[in-house]
Amino acid sequence: MAASVQTIAARSSVRPEAWLWRGGLLGIWLLLLIFIVYPLLMLFSRAFLDDGHLSLQALGAAISAPKNLRALGNSLLLAMMVGVAGTLLGLIFAFTVERVRSARRVSRLIDFFTFLPLISPPFTTSIAFVFSFGPRGLITYELLGIKNVQVYGLTSTFAAETLTYFPIAYLALRPMLASISTSLEEAAFSLGGSRWYAFRTVTLPLVIPALANAFLLLFGCSLADFATPLILAGSDFSVLPTEAYLQITGLFDLKSGAILSLLLLVPAGLVFYAQERVVAGRSYVTVTGKAGVLAQHDSVSGIAGAVLLGFCLLVSALIVYFYLLLFYASIVLAFGANHTLTLDHYRVIFSEGLPAIRDTLIIALIGMPLGGIYGITIGYLVGRTTFISRKAMEAVSMLNYALPGTIVGIAYLLAFNDEPLALTGTAAILIACYVFRYSPIGIRTTVALLQQIDRSMEEASASLGAGSLTTFRRIMLPLILPAFFAGLGVVFIRSMTAISATIFLVSINWTLITVKILENMTEVALGPAAAFSVFVIVVVVLVTSMLNVLLQRLTAPSLRVGKIGA
Amino acid sequence: MAAQSIEIRLQGISATFHHERRGDITAVKNLDLEVRPGEFLTLLGSSGCGKTTTLRMIAGFQKPSSGRILFGDEDVTRLAANQRDIGFVFQNYALFPHLSVFENVAYGLRVKRQGAALIESSVDAGLRQVGLHGMDDRMINELSGGQQQRVALARAIAIRPRVLLFDEPLSNLDAQLRVQMRSEIVRLQRELAITTIYVTHDQEEAMAISDRIAIMDSGQIAQIGTAEQLYLRPTSRFVAGFLGSANLLRGTVVAAESAKTVIDILGHRWELAANSPVAAGRPVDAVIRPEALTLAKQGAGPRGRVESRTYYGDKAEYLVRVGDELIQAVQWNPSTEDAFCDGDQVCVQLPASSVQLLAVD
Repeated sequence: MAASVQTIAARSSVRPEAWLWRGGLLGIWLLLLIFIVYPLLMLFSRAFLDDGHLSLQALGAAISAPKNLRALGNSLLLAMMVGVAGTLLGLIFAFTVERVRSARRVSRLIDFFTFLPLISPPFTTSIAFVFSFGPRGLITYELLGIKNVQVYGLTSTFAAETLTYFPIAYLALRPMLASISTSLEEAAFSLGGSRWYAFRTVTLPLVIPALANAFLLLFGCSLADFATPLILAGSDFSVLPTEAYLQITGLFDLKSGAILSLLLLVPAGLVFYAQERVVAGRSYVTVTGKAGVLAQHDSVSGIAGAVLLGFCLLVSALIVYFYLLLFYASIVLAFGANHTLTLDHYRVIFSEGLPAIRDTLIIALIGMPLGGIYGITIGYLVGRTTFISRKAMEAVSMLNYALPGTIVGIAYLLAFNDEPLALTGTAAILIACYVFRYSPIGIRTTVALLQQIDRSMEEASASLGAGSLTTFRRIMLPLILPAFFAGLGVVFIRSMTAISATIFLVSINWTLITVKILENMTEVALGPAAAFSVFVIVVVVLVTSMLNVLLQRLTAPSLRVGKIGA
Repeated sequence: MAAQSIEIRLQGISATFHHERRGDITAVKNLDLEVRPGEFLTLLGSSGCGKTTTLRMIAGFQKPSSGRILFGDEDVTRLAANQRDIGFVFQNYALFPHLSVFENVAYGLRVKRQGAALIESSVDAGLRQVGLHGMDDRMINELSGGQQQRVALARAIAIRPRVLLFDEPLSNLDAQLRVQMRSEIVRLQRELAITTIYVTHDQEEAMAISDRIAIMDSGQIAQIGTAEQLYLRPTSRFVAGFLGSANLLRGTVVAAESAKTVIDILGHRWELAANSPVAAGRPVDAVIRPEALTLAKQGAGPRGRVESRTYYGDKAEYLVRVGDELIQAVQWNPSTEDAFCDGDQVCVQLPASSVQLLAVD
């Protein structure tokens, strides 16, 4: 009966006047069609249409070219490795923080270190890798004295991506482990199993859906990652996103670029499908024994706990070392050659680099509120109301988020280059790209929050005489405010740090810090690249902290969700 | 103080839902109900009987698929919940977590755009009435379950509604608090004289608070009446079995006269001071409450064997096997001397009155 009651109740739930409702829906659909559906259609038509005829010739040629096949194979291999290693690393971190008693004291520290890669520009780890293991690297050259070292290739790309993306797995796994009451482990323990046996037979099976989900997340991230391979993969290990980029920017071959990016679509689509299945098949019932009792059980023996904690601290130290290295490189004249302290690089980024900084900040600050509003609007529509195209709206709004950035970037390039919507060269195209690509996180957060808000909230408000708009404004809006802030935070962070899609969309008029970092890297101007990276990290940390403080001020304690950026 | 109490009438109300797998489900079937002005009426039934759906239709949260709902002479069937002027107390309280106690109670008054001074005094009075005076600034998550329940109550009555509706409001409280809260609800309702409909599955609660109880079964009202009427004069096996425990014994009417019936039951001829619902020669069901039966070592009445005795302090419960039937008997204020042991042969003494006879269909 519960399911049917919902449909009935939904009909009577908050809904403004008919004209406002219809007009609003129409407007949102128009935006979705223009900024999501239309670019993708343009991408497909460029890839598969020759003079107005459907033709798979170009696709056939692309698939049969050994170079492209190798790129596809490399992409899949890399994604698989990063997926497995990152998930394992994430699991170790999550388990240590949640289950090793001595780790609880340093959990905030570990949280911060794992938070860093999530908010850094995409090249951060790569640059640090070059500084550390490159031909003039701190470890390879200075410390070990190895000459002519080869840093570029699969190994460093894999290592850098794993370090960059494992925090995603950590964040996905930790709440899952936290929700599994230790009393379940205690039960297994009391029945005579060893701690390892309890972990293997109770805890692990319960987190398997979360593990699968984490693996798919990382697989997708690595598959779509453009920045790390561009710096670290080198010429011998090509992957699809960089190949597509080189086709377009190097050879001006839009068609091949489009087709190459679409090759990414096959594994990306499979991952998305698998993810939906995993998520849909998982029960959301929280697995608890009895709440309220502080767990006294040690899930691991003292020695095992110490080993785990030691390992996590070691990895954290590696991350910290990378960031210190980056900072150090930004304040010395020439890293690896002349270690005289200087502020020259900062002078450079605030003079020559100033347009990029200004542009990036303008774009991020405009995109932020737009993305926040867009996120809770669609989230509310698909999460709480009923209309005919609701499911379609939910699916379409997720598309640009689910697709690799390379596909979205090329699609935008193709769609908005000419009339009627010639946006190329404007800030609008960059803002639109970020808003429609990163707001889905706000949408998901809104939907998730709404699931926690019982319908009786709206009914209570109605029973007290409030109309639908009053109920929305006074009750629902304050309750989904955290989702709004989450949306703001994500759009801002991504506007400051993302590159895979927008690299195709920058122009002389409007450019981005991340693109500048890439230019600096290719010109071997490592100092300014490091200085830019440090600047971005500082700004992002500052802004997300401010948003967090604001969020704390504005919302009731009982409603707080996870921190922004998480 | 209270406005004129109004009458609530449901006329031929039905509720049909569409379920994805099970197709159309009728939760409430052609239900008629009249609640008198100022009355405290309880809808009592097990889960899935349609009581909550009925209440939600009265509130306006769900639209009936057919039938009419009247508040006084006003047809409110098509009226949205926010136009009906009701006070609803939810099972989960549904307090607004982002608002303080004061703002929760003031919410309905603010919606009605009342003046600040009036709101202040109304909320203050409301919180006093539920014993939460001085808690204005607390946030909801700082309150205990019982306090939250009181806030929910204060919020509902603050707008001086025409109708008060309760949806299992006490089911999340512990037993002691439940008893305390229900007497406070009754006190408040008497004070305000607002027509009230209360939904519960707890029969003791229903009997303790209601003027009248409507027992619901499969989307219909099985019987409506005072607790006493329902307990002593159930009109169906369902009601007899639902309210309290009852021995339902099948017998045959031997003679049926005015206020005197003789039936054949448990191999025994039994004379009763009651009208028979059926003619002589027809089968009949006798509803006999366990406390109406007396066990004796010997005497008139069917003989049986004690199967078990359970001691509860204020009473002892016996299960006695008589032929194929297992009969429940209760002995109040039991002592050890007059106790029977398992296996004892006893005589079940049937009462001459306080028995309800039901026609067998």
